[in-house]
Amino acid sequence: MAVTDLPTPPKRETAFGVRMRRWRDLLKTLLSNPTTFIGFLIIFLLLAMAIFAPFLAPPNVPDPYQMPRDWGATRMPPGTPGFPLGTTNQGGDVLYGVIWGSRTSLQLSVIVVSVTVVIGIAIGSIAGLVGGWIDETLMRIVDVFLSIPELIFALAVAAILGPSFTNIILSLCIVFWVKYARIMRAQIILIRQADYVQAARVIGDTKLSIFFKDMLPNASTPIAVQATLDMGNIVLVGATLSFIGLAESGIAEWGVLVSEGQAGIASGRWWASTFPGLMIFLWALAFNLVGDGLRDALDPRTEDKR
Amino acid sequence: MMQPPKTDSTVAMKAGDTLLSVRNLNKHFPIKDGILQKVVGQVRAVDGVSFDIRRGETVGLVGESGCGKTTLSQCVAGLTDPTSGEILFNTGQGSQLGDGDRIDKLPKDRYRTFRRNVQMVFQDNFASLNPRQLVVDIIGRPLKVYREASGSDLTERVVALLEQVGLGRQHLYRYPHQFSGGQRQRISIARALALDPELIILDEPTSALDVSVQAQILNLLGDLQKERQLAYLFVTHDLGVVRHMADRMITMYLGKVVEQGPTETVFQQPAHPYTEALLAAKPDLADDPDKPFALLEGTIPDPARPPLGCRFHTRCPRVTPSCGWEIDDIVRFLEADESLFQSLQGVERRSARDADLIFKDPASAVALQEAMKSSSVPEAMRAATERLTVEGSRLRATFSEVDEVQLTERGPEHFAACKLDHLSR
Repeated sequence: MAVTDLPTPPKRETAFGVRMRRWRDLLKTLLSNPTTFIGFLIIFLLLAMAIFAPFLAPPNVPDPYQMPRDWGATRMPPGTPGFPLGTTNQGGDVLYGVIWGSRTSLQLSVIVVSVTVVIGIAIGSIAGLVGGWIDETLMRIVDVFLSIPELIFALAVAAILGPSFTNIILSLCIVFWVKYARIMRAQIILIRQADYVQAARVIGDTKLSIFFKDMLPNASTPIAVQATLDMGNIVLVGATLSFIGLAESGIAEWGVLVSEGQAGIASGRWWASTFPGLMIFLWALAFNLVGDGLRDALDPRTEDKR
Repeated sequence: MMQPPKTDSTVAMKAGDTLLSVRNLNKHFPIKDGILQKVVGQVRAVDGVSFDIRRGETVGLVGESGCGKTTLSQCVAGLTDPTSGEILFNTGQGSQLGDGDRIDKLPKDRYRTFRRNVQMVFQDNFASLNPRQLVVDIIGRPLKVYREASGSDLTERVVALLEQVGLGRQHLYRYPHQFSGGQRQRISIARALALDPELIILDEPTSALDVSVQAQILNLLGDLQKERQLAYLFVTHDLGVVRHMADRMITMYLGKVVEQGPTETVFQQPAHPYTEALLAAKPDLADDPDKPFALLEGTIPDPARPPLGCRFHTRCPRVTPSCGWEIDDIVRFLEADESLFQSLQGVERRSARDADLIFKDPASAVALQEAMKSSSVPEAMRAATERLTVEGSRLRATFSEVDEVQLTERGPEHFAACKLDHLSR
């Protein structure tokens, strides 16, 4: 690990350039892992699909997140002109649902992950920094949350709030913050005692600055890994909730589509469920692959060697 | 509790010379137990410590692991609040250091003066640098906190600091993990120098480094001190380093100062058997390689229950009957004897020096009585025993009362806490 000074001075370095190189190196490590690369590729395609949805399938008026209904073309098999992936019992275009469903899923996962990460970091930091009975109380609450399986808990909350897609988002936000609080608290307790935090105190830096400069950056690695994995898990759980009828029927959401199509599987109309189901599968798979790769790449035991 | 030693009154110095004064400092850590977290005891990490640091001098603080030297240095750095006692810092107000100079009572602007004038270098050169920050951010941070510099001015100040510690401009934009241990310690020193402090606390700054790198860092510290009139509080367990660096040295044992004085005097004429033992255990190239080290026997006693009297009396090779023998010494003796310890059922204390030891059977009580009279216990312990009677399965033991041991003057600025007036050789 010793610094070998190059005989010829390297071209002028800047702090920005060095930091960017660190990110580039991380990305390079990630992409050199074949499974992570596949994960990135799938995520890239899914994101492209979500972003360019209006060009891939002209938006339904007035609400593009509502499935278009063509009562003249119900139960069409894949390959039918105009409906490449077939239609549902109610004449909904499966391709439209698949494409606009990616937007719905993106909204769901991005909203839930950002909200839960912020809540988790806040609560975990308070518990770890304040300690005492506040820590005890918060962590017992977390224990209660963790003792109930995520899906069952989200189901119960969503059922109490009433069936709608917004309520699914809300219920997932209520359920998914606990893991982040746990991780954050453990990290804070570890970092609080670190010499570099003590060093910052000796300099006389403020507590707020120490939190944002020393604690948060060094606690972020496991949070980032968990958040990536949750990007996939949340879509999975969200689709499950909408599958069992906790979302409005008729919206362009993969879980709802699977649910509407499942009755036809026995009669041979497999397409209405299979394509949206495949999308859920791909989404969850991709984020899990990237999350695993991220965990390996950010492992503190190997990070220094990079 | 021990009286404060005489350092602050009889050897009072002009406040102009004294930079920092520690007076009767205590730091106790509560031991908590049970679901209610009741305090069941106190670990006395630092117990009644007093000393001064003058401008431009190096004070070496030595002692075994666990003797409280790191806790003491953290108190001085303002990282931990002492349980009691005071730390006074000379912010240049008034001719005598007084109550108004206590670092916990300083008004905000003078506390800032203290804060920027007392810096610290840590033992673990990797853990003391934030791994997510570039060198320019690490060393420039103190300057930013006190709004001393920004932008390209800040970068130039950091380069100047890097050059002072033997690094250069090419190291500005690197992460700590890209450096060797010695270079990281140089970065730590540069950070401590950034605010041009008067005192730097060095907490074992070289103990994690290779010997050759240690020498480089020590020379760097020496040069910086000459240039900048720095005072160092050098915490270490390496006596060679202390002799090389320190003007005065303080020896600690179990939270107490046992000896302090000018380094050369202490090395030539140690006045406390513990210092003597430490010096004897120091490897020396000139020594006969076949000669075994004069090692101390036993381990450091539990700091939650420190021995009475002189805390070193349990291990002291020069122990006397008046060193503070107590019932706990019998218990420590019993712990070494498996069968007798098994048959011990309880200890009924009248005082720390007078108690009944209750055994399962009279035979064990008699056996202990015999042992206490034989050469299996130190001679001084036998001499300190006033009463040793057996009634059935109870053994009553009483030790004579002795005065507390105090730091007494042994020479110019040389103090030691030992019952012996001088150590014969």
